[in-house]
Amino acid sequence: MDCAICEPTRTRPDKPHTFFAHEYIPCPKCERRGEARIVLRGGQVWALLRCESCGPVERLHHQDAAAFVAAFLARGEADAASPVDRVFKHTTSVCPHCLRLLEVEVVLRAGKVYFRKDCPSCGKSEALVSEDALYYVRAYAFARAGTEPLHFSRKAEHGCPTDCGVCDEHEQHTCLPIVEVTDHCNLECPICIVNNRYSSHISLADFERIIDGMVHREGMCESVALSGGEPTSHPQILDLVRIATRPEIGRVVIITNGLRLGRDHAFAEAIRESGAYVALQLDGFTADTHEKIRGRDLVAEKDAALRILKELRIPTQLVFVATRGANEHQIGQAVELLLREDHILSLNFQPAAFTGYGGGKYPGDPMDRLTIPGVIQRIEEQTGGKLRKSDFYPLPCSHPQCVSLTYLMKLEDDTHLPFGRFVDFSRFGTLLRSSATLPANEQIHEALHEVIHDVFARQDEIERGPDVLVALRALLLQMFPDRLLSPKEAVRIGEGRAKSIFLHHYMDRHDFDLERLRKCCHHYPQADGRVMPACGFNMFHRGAAKGPDTAVADFARPGANGLGGRRLPVVSAG
Amino acid sequence: MSTRLLEGKVALVTGGSRGLGRAICRTLAGEGAAVAFNYSRSDEDARRTLDELRSSGARAWAFRASVLDKVAIDAMVRAIEAEAGAPVDVLVNNAGVGQVVPLALMQEDDWDKMMDVHVKGAFLVTQGVLRGMIRMRRGRILNVSSLAGVKMLEAPVHYCTAKAALKGFTEGLAKEIGRYGVTVNCIAPGILEEGVSVNVPPAKRDDYLRHCAVGRVGTFEEIASVVAFLVSDGNSYMNGATIVVDGAV
Repeated sequence: MDCAICEPTRTRPDKPHTFFAHEYIPCPKCERRGEARIVLRGGQVWALLRCESCGPVERLHHQDAAAFVAAFLARGEADAASPVDRVFKHTTSVCPHCLRLLEVEVVLRAGKVYFRKDCPSCGKSEALVSEDALYYVRAYAFARAGTEPLHFSRKAEHGCPTDCGVCDEHEQHTCLPIVEVTDHCNLECPICIVNNRYSSHISLADFERIIDGMVHREGMCESVALSGGEPTSHPQILDLVRIATRPEIGRVVIITNGLRLGRDHAFAEAIRESGAYVALQLDGFTADTHEKIRGRDLVAEKDAALRILKELRIPTQLVFVATRGANEHQIGQAVELLLREDHILSLNFQPAAFTGYGGGKYPGDPMDRLTIPGVIQRIEEQTGGKLRKSDFYPLPCSHPQCVSLTYLMKLEDDTHLPFGRFVDFSRFGTLLRSSATLPANEQIHEALHEVIHDVFARQDEIERGPDVLVALRALLLQMFPDRLLSPKEAVRIGEGRAKSIFLHHYMDRHDFDLERLRKCCHHYPQADGRVMPACGFNMFHRGAAKGPDTAVADFARPGANGLGGRRLPVVSAG
Repeated sequence: MSTRLLEGKVALVTGGSRGLGRAICRTLAGEGAAVAFNYSRSDEDARRTLDELRSSGARAWAFRASVLDKVAIDAMVRAIEAEAGAPVDVLVNNAGVGQVVPLALMQEDDWDKMMDVHVKGAFLVTQGVLRGMIRMRRGRILNVSSLAGVKMLEAPVHYCTAKAALKGFTEGLAKEIGRYGVTVNCIAPGILEEGVSVNVPPAKRDDYLRHCAVGRVGTFEEIASVVAFLVSDGNSYMNGATIVVDGAV
């Protein structure tokens, strides 16, 4: 289904609940402790377990969902700044050494959040999960029911993440399919999160099957991303774009390092002609940052790519992997670039994940790393307050700890104002979406009308209130013209009126959280029909969670799942 | 405890210096509202109305401002809020004009003036007070239409059209802003003793009386008392309605 219908109040017919968190509780039948999904259902709180002995079972966890959530948030807020460790909750992570699944404590300590782990084989370890405990706690208030895909790829048999691909216990549909079209690359990035083998390019037939499968499962995809490796090294990349360019798909996005674009004008023109969007990897502006993150000085090549994208007005997204000690001081510069250039629609900050061929062995400190709040803080500091911490909100569509975002409204004088300055997102959650722009659909139309009346009434209190009203009018008229829009037009028509900044923290062996994976909406579709949540695939299936030659998990070996499966050992600390 | 319908409310009546507008001002004030009205023609009429309201003990204000002058309207709304100490709770879009001319002789200016005063004027004044109503999450808007806008009568075409437009304005706006606790209704009086009704030819008036169950024309006060109820808190679930007050024709 089109992500445009992800809405906060809708309940899935198959799962009439809002997924809230994971917690460890005893099985109501055999009392064996296990990880449960804590869900809000019918005004109550229920725990859904897949007990290794008893199978799927559920028990009432709390009579009053609103009171439970309020107490959960209040406890976290009270403990957030505690100088001593406060256990906030439990979840499942992995041992950073042996990658075994572990029950871990989520600990609040001095304003930050850590996982406290105790692996029976490798011993104790800790990992920083969030640099801002208050942000972390309050993000849970943004939990929203997921959207049901038209079809699931698999049935749940053994529980998350063993059945991955995705099973019918997954809590979100695919908002963004990322198709890895090649494992060839023209860079060897020290921070690379995949595992390029330089062995193959996807065949057109396989790719077409993947796209058909996505349309079958989702009906309408707002975006499909082509990734790799370096997708422009695929000899038939334009054919792939052509295959993906169909009415059910709003945008085709090529995630590229931009090297070929910068040196091959004819190719760049062909990309423009194809209608594809470009997500340009741009992690800095100086030789030293490129060297640390991408392995060599890329200043001239990135400049060339930026020039051609601007010259050809190719709709562009920037992807910035934010890494402690490498490029964190150039975060503001990336924001300024986004604000300056009309053809750049969005900016996606990805706090570095230490996984993959390069990232798995990157010398990052799991106790002193950038997380989403840290990047937001640097955005505020480095843009002179143009953007503030309070402008960013957790994305309810995914797990709220995975993504944070802000939309920026373009005003008539070409400056930008964050939506959060005039929209109360606690009331207008529909506007928080896993999309670079706002589509023209009924939910957005309704939300915009509410926002317009709210701004109209409070225009004297709101920063640049009358200017915002003028911009909202222009946005409304552009997005909802007096004619029928095709689904593709509806997805793209709001572009140019609003930009977005996303922060997406992919997980690694240090901060992996099965709870987050449960609601992942960024998926890698496979040619065999599976649709793999990104961080689970990186962690268990790619064979590079600790760098090259990491063993894949037992359940992730080819054919394992289809042959009756293997139970996944989860080590309980309880 | 007061039994008055509009105790503590702030009301704005457009075209309130004379005729039906004056009667509405008087009745709303009698029901406890602080009443502001605007006018565009006679300072003397306005002063008389204002004196009458104040002498009855009501808080009242008069503003010389055309309903077609957005700047003046916004200034008036700000002034009312400052004087009354609260936003406008009740708006009665009453301002109107009458003109008897057949379509064959109607000039473009005739048409524009009729449509502007009734329809554009209602739009501009409503927009001026709506901010406060949305902020308060409450409000009552009443548009004064006419039987000629809801039934097929032999009346000037531009007048019928403008009054019918107010019904559409009422219904569209009611849907749009009902969620903010602001209700919008419309009243459609039949022939009255005074006002534009004096333009009705005797034969047509007799014809009206023959078909009117009550057997007489209405009075300003009868319309104003219905208005007072329609804009009161007691009328909380009626929205988008057009109430015909014509003695049953």
